[in-house]
Amino acid sequence: MIAPSRGAGGNDPSRAAGGDKGDGSGLRWWAAFSSSPTLRLVVRRILVAIPVMVGVTFLTAVLLNLLPGDAASALLGADATPQEVHQLYLKLHLNEPFFVRYWQWIVGVFHGHLGASLQNGQPVAQIIGQRLPITFELIVFASIVMLLISIPLAMLCARRPGGVVDRITMVLSMGFLSVPQFVLGLIFVLVFAVIFRVFPALGYTPITQSVGENLRDFTLPAFSIALPLAGFYVRLLRADLIEQMESQDYVVTARAKGFGSWYILTRHAFRNSLIGFVTIFGLNVATLFAYTVIVEEIFGLPGLGYALINGVGDRDAPLVQGIVLVLAGIVVIVNLLTDLTYGVIDPRVRYGRSAV
Amino acid sequence: MAALLSETETQILPEAVLEEIPVRRGRGWVRSLDIYIPGVFLLALLFVCFIWPYLYTIPPPVGGSILDAGLPVGSPGHIFGTTAVGNDVMSRLIYGGRTSFEIVFAVQGLGLAVGGLIGVMAAMMRGVAETVAMRLLDVIIAFPAFVLVVVIVLGLGASEINLIWALAVISVPTFARVARAGAVTVRERTYVVAAELSGSKRWQIALRHVVPNIITSLLTFAVLGAGVVVILEATVSYFGYGIPPPGPSWGNMIATGQTTMSARPSLLLIPCITLLITVIALNTLSEGMRRRWGAVR
Amino acid sequence: MTVNGSGTTAGTGTLPGDVPAGRTPGGGKVLLEVRHLVQEFPVRNAGGVKGGMLQAVSDVSFSLHAGESLGVVGETGSGKSTLARSIVQAPPPRSGEVIFDGVDLVKLKRRQMERLRRHMQMVFQDPFGSLDPKWRVSDIVAEPLVAYRVGGRQERRARVDLLLELVGLDPEVHGVRHPGQLSGGQAQRVAIARAIALSPQLLICDEPVSSLDVLVQAQVLNLFEKLRQELDLAYLFIAHDLALVKQVSDRVAVMYLGKFCEVGPSESLYEEPLHPYTFALLKSIPDPDPETGRVRSKDVISGELPSPLDPPSGCRFRTRCPRAQARCAEEVPELRMVGEDHLVACHFPLSVKSGGDLTAVGSAVAPDTASS
Repeated sequence: MIAPSRGAGGNDPSRAAGGDKGDGSGLRWWAAFSSSPTLRLVVRRILVAIPVMVGVTFLTAVLLNLLPGDAASALLGADATPQEVHQLYLKLHLNEPFFVRYWQWIVGVFHGHLGASLQNGQPVAQIIGQRLPITFELIVFASIVMLLISIPLAMLCARRPGGVVDRITMVLSMGFLSVPQFVLGLIFVLVFAVIFRVFPALGYTPITQSVGENLRDFTLPAFSIALPLAGFYVRLLRADLIEQMESQDYVVTARAKGFGSWYILTRHAFRNSLIGFVTIFGLNVATLFAYTVIVEEIFGLPGLGYALINGVGDRDAPLVQGIVLVLAGIVVIVNLLTDLTYGVIDPRVRYGRSAV
Repeated sequence: MAALLSETETQILPEAVLEEIPVRRGRGWVRSLDIYIPGVFLLALLFVCFIWPYLYTIPPPVGGSILDAGLPVGSPGHIFGTTAVGNDVMSRLIYGGRTSFEIVFAVQGLGLAVGGLIGVMAAMMRGVAETVAMRLLDVIIAFPAFVLVVVIVLGLGASEINLIWALAVISVPTFARVARAGAVTVRERTYVVAAELSGSKRWQIALRHVVPNIITSLLTFAVLGAGVVVILEATVSYFGYGIPPPGPSWGNMIATGQTTMSARPSLLLIPCITLLITVIALNTLSEGMRRRWGAVR
Repeated sequence: MTVNGSGTTAGTGTLPGDVPAGRTPGGGKVLLEVRHLVQEFPVRNAGGVKGGMLQAVSDVSFSLHAGESLGVVGETGSGKSTLARSIVQAPPPRSGEVIFDGVDLVKLKRRQMERLRRHMQMVFQDPFGSLDPKWRVSDIVAEPLVAYRVGGRQERRARVDLLLELVGLDPEVHGVRHPGQLSGGQAQRVAIARAIALSPQLLICDEPVSSLDVLVQAQVLNLFEKLRQELDLAYLFIAHDLALVKQVSDRVAVMYLGKFCEVGPSESLYEEPLHPYTFALLKSIPDPDPETGRVRSKDVISGELPSPLDPPSGCRFRTRCPRAQARCAEEVPELRMVGEDHLVACHFPLSVKSGGDLTAVGSAVAPDTASS
């Protein structure tokens, strides 16, 4: 929205073509570009996302800078002498003005470098590379659990609104959507790790080491995230399905043809409800990350959220900014994928105005 | 003129009155149970947290005697028992609830006033100002809320008032977004064009048309968001960034209860359940309000 | 291209307690003059990229005398509502002049416009949409009075009561209601009361009866007719149905795809339509057979309204016109005077009165640039 015309129309076609050699291929690229709404949508959205992402990292840098203390004293701890702290302070270039440090970092980002952690000089990209898969696995695991619970339950509820299944589900879902992740996590630990000892309370085994152990480690964290989400999505999907079943003409038509309600639910209503479902899911990916931060902290999973909290504690600006940038980027990509999925779910959607 | 009036009354009035008038049926109280039950529960909770301590003396939430430490649930004078350092659990629940509600009222009040103002103003100004304002707020919303609150509290120092500022940083943009969405819907209504033609100024339109038409959805959102604020406050306090530890807070109680969860699960479960029920009540109330008032027309 | 209206006999009825606005009742004065009005909107398509301009109103000119009533008729999408909104500058037109009482509104600053707006008011199609559901009827009618600080609280209340009575509502009964508790006809009466609260000189009615039941339609039309005589109002009366406009209009303009194709006194336009489109519209009015009481089926214009994004070259009606010839695709027909006060934009009008000369009147009308 920020630059609708610059996004596509204002681009110099030959320059936008990048590495293309001649004018001919540039024009061909331009033709493909302007005739493909999907491509235009992608380019536009990415161009809009850039200022937002710069803004997010800048705000991060400002906040970190406002925090009392600095990386040098945070890293050396309380025992260090002022001289030591001052030496490290200079070594980390913390004496340079804040804007200069941020400028150097963001210029580096545009050249493809995320910088190095202040703590041990390890490249931020490398740290993220190690941590991201853990967070990613947590999110995927949690999402699958959430989908497996919410979709069938919502259909069962919508089949007979007001029935026994529906009532029980509505009460339970309200309970689960109200429970904070950390409370659910602790209760899981109490029940499954302390009382019954079937799952570990803490720890992480790499998936390369043992797939079974790895999944065991992830089960409680994933359920801590998935159940509150499932409570939310069951209600969302149920309400939409019921509305479809009650009001839509095609449902009436299908009923008139003699199809059973289960058939109509799965074949017609669900397909149509899916768009709203996917939209909300895409929009909530940022929230999902916030949950992983909390759950990783409780279960000691060395994911991105864990690194983020520690990075804030150490005033490790490049690390924190790098993680925030990656998270924001993922949110943008997921939202874009969400929009693109519409076309797959509903071929009528052609990325008109509403899709943007 | 007298002739005109009489003609009006005799000829036109009857026709107009004869037209079918839609009758509104009052809702029975049974249909509003989804508002009354959580509403009454929350009022009772507020009463217990804010007024009860003045009517009856209850043990202080901090500074309990070590002689009273570790009493089980149901002990005389300590219905929910005492903590490992001898503080009364019931009293800590009450004072913790008071902290939570103070924070919720302050945060959502700030969000409603400041965020609502920003959202309505953005929608009424249109153009570049609207776009810039909303993009700036998007930047804040794009952050994981929990991390942002932690960072701000670290910067300001852990205390109740700083926690309020930090949480308000989260709630103001979300209110602004909801308010703007509602205001954009309202500003496209014909009655706003009609108001413009009637000579109303933009601020008059904002105040008299836009705000009354979005206030119910904002209030519904405020109650829904109250649940989120309670959860966030507890989460932040649980991780030790919020209310400083001896202070009463449900999050703190959960954190200390966790350390003895195998020996005395009640110290963990009691604050967890209280927190859960409170959030359920807020969410149920919000849903009831939405069902009754609907979205922005 | 000033067209002389038929100069209606205007009543001089004013509301008691009227604000002296320096109005001189009388028929001769030109109240509103619209010159070369063009209104376009950017259209966004795929991916939010600008997809061209939609020209909703292209080069419309006409004038309206004090106390006169001009009906504007056209299909949905012909740009008649946009024309109405452009005249009241909500939003202002892309180009052209809207001269109201000698002042060009397009050039006015926001403040000046606010001062002039009280003399022109609007009644909208959807009566409920134009009334704030949260307001009481009496507050709705008082809104313009409050905004322009007319009188004190007591005076305003008295005036609101009077206005409600004037439109046929009971202040005691209906004044305290909310719009949701009114019927469609009552709601439209409230909207009319609000519109005449400031004793405007011009009332623009954007399909004010289209959403009402047929019986109620007639009542509200009667109210319009009555108010015109009582209050010396000039109307720009928009409808998609020629039959509706006939009753309240001195002159009628027929609009097609953003352009006027025929303007003339109601009588002669109905008796002797010149433009094939007007003819087709007239034929499509269903009228019951006097003997059987059944509605006789009528010819309806064939084909779809072409996209205003890409209007046909030359005459815009040629794609649906039974009389279209080669010339119609090449040359844009301009409004020209044919007969007394009767203008038509057609190369091959249906019938020409003996006295009419066929010289093009529109020397001031710029060549149409929209179709390119």
